[in-house]
Amino acid sequence: MIDYFVHISILFSIYAILSLSLNLVVGYAGLVSVAQAAFYGIGAYTTAILTATLGFNFFISVIVGILVAAILGFLAGLVFSKFRGDYYVLATLAFNVIIHSIFINWYDLTHGPLGIPGVLKPNLFGLSFSPNLLFFILSLLFLVAVYGVSRFIAQSSFGRALKAIREDESALKVFGYKTSVFKLSVFVASASLAAVAGSLFASYLTFVDPSTFLLTESIFILSIIILGGLGNLKGSLLGAFILVLLPELLRFVGLPDGIAAQIRQALYGLILIVLMLYRPQGLMGEYKL
Amino acid sequence: MNIVPQLIINSLIAGSIYSLVALGFNLIYGATRFFNLAHGIMAASGGYVVFFGVKTLGWNLYISIILSVFVVGCIGYLLDRFIYKPLRRKKSSNMVMLVASLGVFSTIQALLAILFSTQFHSLRAISPEQTFNLFGGIITQTQIIIILVSLISTISLHLFLSRTRFGKAVKAVSDDEEVSRIVGINTDRIIGATFFIGSSIAALAGILVGLDTGIEPTIGMSLLLKGVVAAIIGGIGNIFGGTLGAFLLGFVENFSVWKISSDWKEAITFTLLVSFLIFRPQGLMNKRK
Repeated sequence: MIDYFVHISILFSIYAILSLSLNLVVGYAGLVSVAQAAFYGIGAYTTAILTATLGFNFFISVIVGILVAAILGFLAGLVFSKFRGDYYVLATLAFNVIIHSIFINWYDLTHGPLGIPGVLKPNLFGLSFSPNLLFFILSLLFLVAVYGVSRFIAQSSFGRALKAIREDESALKVFGYKTSVFKLSVFVASASLAAVAGSLFASYLTFVDPSTFLLTESIFILSIIILGGLGNLKGSLLGAFILVLLPELLRFVGLPDGIAAQIRQALYGLILIVLMLYRPQGLMGEYKL
Repeated sequence: MNIVPQLIINSLIAGSIYSLVALGFNLIYGATRFFNLAHGIMAASGGYVVFFGVKTLGWNLYISIILSVFVVGCIGYLLDRFIYKPLRRKKSSNMVMLVASLGVFSTIQALLAILFSTQFHSLRAISPEQTFNLFGGIITQTQIIIILVSLISTISLHLFLSRTRFGKAVKAVSDDEEVSRIVGINTDRIIGATFFIGSSIAALAGILVGLDTGIEPTIGMSLLLKGVVAAIIGGIGNIFGGTLGAFLLGFVENFSVWKISSDWKEAITFTLLVSFLIFRPQGLMNKRK
């Protein structure tokens, strides 16, 4: 039972990190991105390749993962920052599909659909985080760090400028702000933070394969932050808590594991529809789409 | 062996399918001005209704196809009636509509996976199929039907929109919904009808893909992506632009396979989309805004 509780808590931490990072882009900058699973995957694959194939330490792989995600986020963001609204969604959607197709098709690097087994657990100066309880503490520490970074970004003058872009981009342009630079920076920050969640995920399961990083996963993360509330970091934590826990309750009802994943997907799809109809700002939201 | 004739045939087949998806997408976009991301899943549903009719109930293939087109049209209408129409009433932003359609997409995709499993199913009745030799390339009977159906649908929709009062009303609604309502057009009925017609045409696309190769729940997103890319290349909301874009996409994809592995088709689609978003966001057929 304790094991189960710890397992859920680790999942919560990972999704909370993903949600916080996405909220920076969607909630603060007002840009609806469905590419978060791509950066999640980039972090996970970086850790998998560095630790399982090349034998590096987990913590080094986290740093490299952040860098790789930042570089790719920068390149993709250079293009995305020109867009807003519908076109932004479309561009990020396509990006997620492409990154996923790279995970499947770049066989030499990713082993395609077979995935990469044997990802190492974190190890710091001889202390191994392989017991789940220790791993949970580690992921909680990462969550706290990510929360701190997100809060710092949100409350800085940079964060205020983002909110202004969200409300009226052309007005801000008139004042001489280079809005595309702001949009690009927050996208890169968000991508890097999402990669941390990916590293944790790969190391926790000791295995990665492409099926985790589909577009539907990006939509799931988007549902979390919309449910919790856009532009509110605590809302993202609440959203992650609810949406990670809810499918687990379904499991107690006795649904087979095979369709549990599908039920989960149907459930968050419905949540999105209901929220849009009755409460588009989510539970604690400060911003309406 | 000269492979050019075969590449041309393949491009025409792909273009015909994409064109069907873009046709309905543009029709709905023209009337509502939002990106209906649930459009692709209508295509997948079309395939699955036929699968259910033929394989589970043992019905005749042609009767199943006609029923499927009608049923999916009704689903499209009901989605509008119970989700998009209330959202329009509340003057929700396009982004709220888009996120709601994303919810519809993931709910229906999950339902299809629960009902029919995630396996790949073919709808083909007879195999091997009769094939024909065309200028040194090979084409199957089904593929000829695909090209014909696409051609007939495009022409009929064009005649329908240009020769009837309904067509004029659609044009009025896409120009300005507010004003159309004031002059006495029942805009909700017009939009509902475009959802019915658009979804039926999407169902045709899904059925044809199912007959030619096969269907799986995820086919909805890939068809949507192609349809949207075709629509954007051609000029969003412009029905003939969509057809032009669809064939351009079909040719680019198939001719690039000549030099690059076909695994990278999706990446090529994306590159084409991004180039258009950057250099000609209004598409080929629309004038610059």
